[in-house]
Amino acid sequence: MKAEQEISRMLRPKRCSNRVVSFARRLDTVKISLWAVLILVTASWAFIFTADGASLTAYFSARNLYYAKKFFSNMLGLGSEAPAFLLAENWLNGLKLTYETLQMSVLAIGFSAIGMLFTVIPAARTAADGSLTLKSTWYGWLAFGFIRLLYIFSRAVPELVWAMLIIFIFKPGILPGALALGLHNFGILGKLCAEVVEDLDLRPIRSLRASGAGTWQLLFYGVFPAVTPKFLTFLLYRWEVIIRTTIIVGFVGAGGLGRQFKLSMSWFHYTDITLLLICYFLLVIFADLCSGLLRRLAQ
Amino acid sequence: MPRQFLDLHNRTVLSIFLIAAFIWSLFSVQWGDDLFHPGGKATILQLVKAFFQPDLSSGTLQVALISAWRTIVYATAGMSVAVILALVFGVLASGILAEKTIGRMASIGFFRGLLGFMRAIHELVWAWLFVAAAGLSPFAAIFALAIPYGGTLGRIFADILNDVPREPLKSLQASGAGKVQQFFYGYFPMAMADMVSYTMYRFECAIRSATIMSFIGLGGLGYQINIALQDLRYDRVWTHIFFLIGLVVLVDFWSNQLRRRLVA
Repeated sequence: MKAEQEISRMLRPKRCSNRVVSFARRLDTVKISLWAVLILVTASWAFIFTADGASLTAYFSARNLYYAKKFFSNMLGLGSEAPAFLLAENWLNGLKLTYETLQMSVLAIGFSAIGMLFTVIPAARTAADGSLTLKSTWYGWLAFGFIRLLYIFSRAVPELVWAMLIIFIFKPGILPGALALGLHNFGILGKLCAEVVEDLDLRPIRSLRASGAGTWQLLFYGVFPAVTPKFLTFLLYRWEVIIRTTIIVGFVGAGGLGRQFKLSMSWFHYTDITLLLICYFLLVIFADLCSGLLRRLAQ
Repeated sequence: MPRQFLDLHNRTVLSIFLIAAFIWSLFSVQWGDDLFHPGGKATILQLVKAFFQPDLSSGTLQVALISAWRTIVYATAGMSVAVILALVFGVLASGILAEKTIGRMASIGFFRGLLGFMRAIHELVWAWLFVAAAGLSPFAAIFALAIPYGGTLGRIFADILNDVPREPLKSLQASGAGKVQQFFYGYFPMAMADMVSYTMYRFECAIRSATIMSFIGLGGLGYQINIALQDLRYDRVWTHIFFLIGLVVLVDFWSNQLRRRLVA
């Protein structure tokens, strides 16, 4: 990679006109983007202060600070006779929900991984134009376009919106939450992994083909061994993100910690909320450590 | 050769472990017809039908357009605060400004921990905390977005700053530049392109996050999707979702263009 960059840098001065053109174009995009960012930021803040009529001084007023203080002392259980986080029974319940949440996250990443594995090869541009499979067909291109659209579609819709839709079909529980998380991450994983397949070094595959390997043999001896480490890394990385998001899909009725969190919120059980937040925090830290460890194993 | 064998072995063990974990998770669901709502299967049909016939009346389109703008506004405002947070905390967390080793260690340890805490909690939980503590205001959404995004961006900024090539810095140092001068003439210009490119990538995520901020009662595309769902107007739901997809694709396109110019 580094060497190729060096070589391309050495070659460039020979094509002087090209270099000037590309430099001008590069400057343009950057300049336009800079202006666009400036305008966007100014317009956004102007909109918030004028159209929404929001004011910072009102938000940090003495009254709001008083409420905030009251809220946080409630959460810490000050003045409460039996804070939830001091009762073993509540801890047991909280840990049970944490366990369920963990199961939901694994189920979700499993769904998206299965979906991704079935679609990722036709979703790579190199498979459609024939440089990977050495065969370019019209239905290859059709599959490429369709799957890429599917990826964009499932990726652009946030988990929470998927969950809101799915909860119309399934009864509240682990499955709808896992499906919503799985659908969103299917698009993200698909995009990331398809790019890995596109970036593959094609020479070993050509040599496999030259020695008479069929399409399936190409996949199993040429493609999969080369992409597995990166696939596993992405999988574990998305799993970390999913753990953080499980609580969100729980808000709309999918099971786990999030659902209990929402219920405690509606009942104003402040100390319960604290307990659930602690459980959630522990789960996130556990997932980070776990995925870090497993990722090292994948390399 | 033995090393290679070990690697293969590791990866196989990992794959088997992951498959086992997935099978374990399958037992968490009681499989059967009981999973569906009584009218659930009919709802699927209605949803699919509405997908092909979204509500394209001018009233809905107008609402969707305004909501899309609102979503952009919250995402942009949140990102602008997040970038400021990330720059300050990220530089401190990379420890490049500290003169002595002890100071650097303390700075790295403390600010890395702080950034970790900021991003460990999901933006919607932050939003709910803000609303519950101090009431409904656009600032609740903006700060709630800025904290976890600042945490993620800050950590990445710190990593990028730490990965900057050493040789130009050494030459700056040799010609007598202090830590601050090294930062402005060495670290920052070299890390700039990567930082911008990652920020653009996070902006796309911020659009999605701003959408779901509606869940705590703020306007935007998510709010409209929520209302349409409650009215069982699936055709309107899809219209708003299509607008959201449009936004995400637009930002994705922009960030790809910019990234190609900056990094290549």
